[in-house]
Amino acid sequence: MIKKNTVGSGLLLLLIAGAVGYGIGFGLDALISGGTPKLAGAVPSAFALLFAVSAFFFGLYGYRGITRGLVWQVMGTLLGGLFVTGIRALMGMTGNKLFGAFFFSEPAWVFGALMGVISFLVGVGVMDDWMKWARGIDTPEHHEDKPGWEKYFGVSLDHKVIGIQYTVTALVLISVGGLFALIFRTELAQSGLQFLSADPTKFNVFNQTGPQFYNTLMSLHGMIMIVSILLGISGIINYVVPLLVGAQDMAFPRMNAFAFWVAVPAAVLLLMSMVLGGFDTGWTGYPPLSSRAPVGVQMFFWGVFTAGWSSILGALNVIATVLRMRAKGMTAMRMPIFVWAAIATSIIAMTATQLIGLSFQMVSFQRLFGMGFFDPAKGGNPVLFQHLFWFYSHPAVYVFVLPGLGVISELLPVFVRKPLFGYRWIAMSSLGIALVGFVVWAHHMFTSGMNEYLRVPFMYSTMLVAVPTGVKFFSWIATIWGGKISTPTPMLFVLGAIVVFLLGGVTGPPNAMVALDLHLHDTYWVVGHFHDTIFGGFVFPFFAAIYYWFPKATGRRMNEFWGKVHFWLMTPSFLMLTFGMMFIGLRGMRRRIADYDAALGFDNMHLILTICAFGIALSVLIFFINIIYSIKHGEKAEGNVWNSRSPEWQVRSPMPAHNYEVPFEVVGEPYDYGLADSKYVEFSATAGKKH
Amino acid sequence: MTHKQEKSSMLSQGVFIFVYLAVLTVLEFGIAITFNSAVLLVAIALVKAVLVVYYYMHIYKLNAEHEGDEDSYEYKSGTNRIGLWLFLVSDSFVFGGLMVMRINLLGLTHPHLDQTLGLIVTGVLLVSSFFMNRGETLMANGDRKGFITNTLITFVLGLGFLIGVVFVEWPNAIAEGITPGSGPAGAAFFMMTGMHAFHVLTGLIFLLVVLNNARRGLYDEKHYPVEAAAVYWHFVDVVWIFFYPALYLIGAIAK
Repeated sequence: MIKKNTVGSGLLLLLIAGAVGYGIGFGLDALISGGTPKLAGAVPSAFALLFAVSAFFFGLYGYRGITRGLVWQVMGTLLGGLFVTGIRALMGMTGNKLFGAFFFSEPAWVFGALMGVISFLVGVGVMDDWMKWARGIDTPEHHEDKPGWEKYFGVSLDHKVIGIQYTVTALVLISVGGLFALIFRTELAQSGLQFLSADPTKFNVFNQTGPQFYNTLMSLHGMIMIVSILLGISGIINYVVPLLVGAQDMAFPRMNAFAFWVAVPAAVLLLMSMVLGGFDTGWTGYPPLSSRAPVGVQMFFWGVFTAGWSSILGALNVIATVLRMRAKGMTAMRMPIFVWAAIATSIIAMTATQLIGLSFQMVSFQRLFGMGFFDPAKGGNPVLFQHLFWFYSHPAVYVFVLPGLGVISELLPVFVRKPLFGYRWIAMSSLGIALVGFVVWAHHMFTSGMNEYLRVPFMYSTMLVAVPTGVKFFSWIATIWGGKISTPTPMLFVLGAIVVFLLGGVTGPPNAMVALDLHLHDTYWVVGHFHDTIFGGFVFPFFAAIYYWFPKATGRRMNEFWGKVHFWLMTPSFLMLTFGMMFIGLRGMRRRIADYDAALGFDNMHLILTICAFGIALSVLIFFINIIYSIKHGEKAEGNVWNSRSPEWQVRSPMPAHNYEVPFEVVGEPYDYGLADSKYVEFSATAGKKH
Repeated sequence: MTHKQEKSSMLSQGVFIFVYLAVLTVLEFGIAITFNSAVLLVAIALVKAVLVVYYYMHIYKLNAEHEGDEDSYEYKSGTNRIGLWLFLVSDSFVFGGLMVMRINLLGLTHPHLDQTLGLIVTGVLLVSSFFMNRGETLMANGDRKGFITNTLITFVLGLGFLIGVVFVEWPNAIAEGITPGSGPAGAAFFMMTGMHAFHVLTGLIFLLVVLNNARRGLYDEKHYPVEAAAVYWHFVDVVWIFFYPALYLIGAIAK
């Protein structure tokens, strides 16, 4: 009845194991808490979730790769938790409650979570080679992947496989984060609490009432989207950068695989935070609120911490690759422009990410050991947290958008058949945004009670960001000007990105003005503004990149008609959504609240916003169906589909395992479209001998 | 210059740098207990760090040009070297963040700690760096046995530092009333020494791996792992060069 390794058997096992896990969790909960466990209680749900996910991959893929990782993570978490519980029992800390409200006590959960992450990494097998090296055993330079889909569910060292793993994980997380948004957007469609009821007898999911669950969903929507964006840019960079610079792989293929796989247990931890009581802090996790939230906030902290390692190690790898593995003749000013964007974004991700990890770690320790970093009662300083946090989290938005802006600059010349205007300026503006981005963080804190004299310098430095960003816009306009524009789907998304990012850009400086920000802070205006920047800087270019490089990865094109439907459904819905958000924001609609007063008169607008959100969801659903359909049934496209000058399009698609069979040498400028007889790369067997 | 002369000059360079570092450490301790100038203490720490980064960590090797194929061992070691230094840059942001926390919470004060113990553990770590450098130099000259002896000494000293901080200094501080929850001084002290001790621990594991592989005769002129372990070990020392004055020396004693 069950065929080996199919989606069907995965789903069947998912249901069975989900039920079994629920039963075990229910029993344990009843035993430990002694009371009557609720139907949607935290512990049964957690067990059901973990069992179901592991079983799904078992049915799909067998006991290896990701399945083994997940099983090991579950075991590691339980053993780690039991270990700490045992130690606490031995130390006689029973008065301090051996088992918490969520089965384990908080220290046990934290230790268990960390053990779970490490167990996952060992179980999935991404550290095998390093373990062998530590024991003095040599391993082959590359492992050969078996052809077919199965390599995507296990450890592969091929940057193209890892790029696709990243991209697919990002798309999965985008759907999860989007689903959360749809849930709370539905609640917001009308004033008053409809289904997220504040009455615990009517609504009680994972020990949370309706408004509490709203807070959890809203916070997780933010962080899951951020992690998915980080994975999405890593996906594009991983797939494309080695191809663009003519390398066989990334500089450190094993660390590349590690950087991807560490993000998977991180995503599991983030989802566990919802089950373990959730948290109500928003994605920023400010103390003192976060030092009092349920244990879920700890899972959130350590999930972000773990995901941060993915970002740091991935970025480090990109920089080393570009520094050391460029093709012969590829000088700095002859690199494809996307590579400059990847470098700029990696500089930020590699350094600043440490600070969000540190700040979250410190709140976690404040909760566990009573270390009063951010607790005024113990001589701490809550504003210090915000400084450390925003030192990463503001530059992080440039991590999100710089690769997207690079995609725009990379694709635009191909579809207007003209040289990229001001190559050097664009390259330098990426670095400029990255560097200025390091000195603007406190503009998030104009209302938080930081020293007032800090406001003005941060106001000016923030407005300075508009200069290098403006350079990019002028260059794009000058590139489009007088070109032979064609608009296949990738180009549509590029144009959409320019328009949307412009809207995000011009709504930014008002927030930078101290006087205006005191009014705009924490309103829907800000929500509209940053959704514009992130959609313009990441989501549109991400879709453009997927439509553009899909033939390179699969040898087939995505359906053009449904691609256009995707674009023409998503863009108006999205513009309406953010305009509406800004409109009610200016009139005083506050962020992060589950309910609002009907007398404010926002009901109609919120209804429209909800409809728009569903419009976007529908368009993304069309995209998913398109991508799944096109992998097998898309139109064959093995040549230079877009008539590009870029090296990766000069060879047949899909790309062979070790990229270019014949190495290339750079002999001209990258974007001289329309100039007769100009060449960017020349393939020759001698081009590989270099340095 | 013959091979032997180069080796002896490298070894004596290591001794000279160690003497400089030791004198500067005594000097900063003297400044701290007499007129306690924060500016001077920071300046000395910077000088010490530069000495270690240049002469012990050999940062200039990043500039070395490697002729030959991209698949050659030399070229790959160059790439690995860049990777390691990028990681150290990234990691120093953690310690930078901790330093920001310490400056914000404590300002020009430091926790009330045992000065003798502080000076001893600092000295132990410094001496361990000296032996690490000596071991690496010997390995570069093909003396595997000398490498093993010196690295073993480094390992023992490193372990001594870890024990000194975690099992002597911590209980000591707790007995004095400085606990993680006692206030900003305790929180900063335990967080900073804890994070540093964690790095010492990883460095010790790294040293064990290298020692074990050297014992099996794995390294010859190709010994990048030895260099990596040494650079990481010195980096941990550089962090302590800043943390020591920050926690023990600068300013008055915090309440």
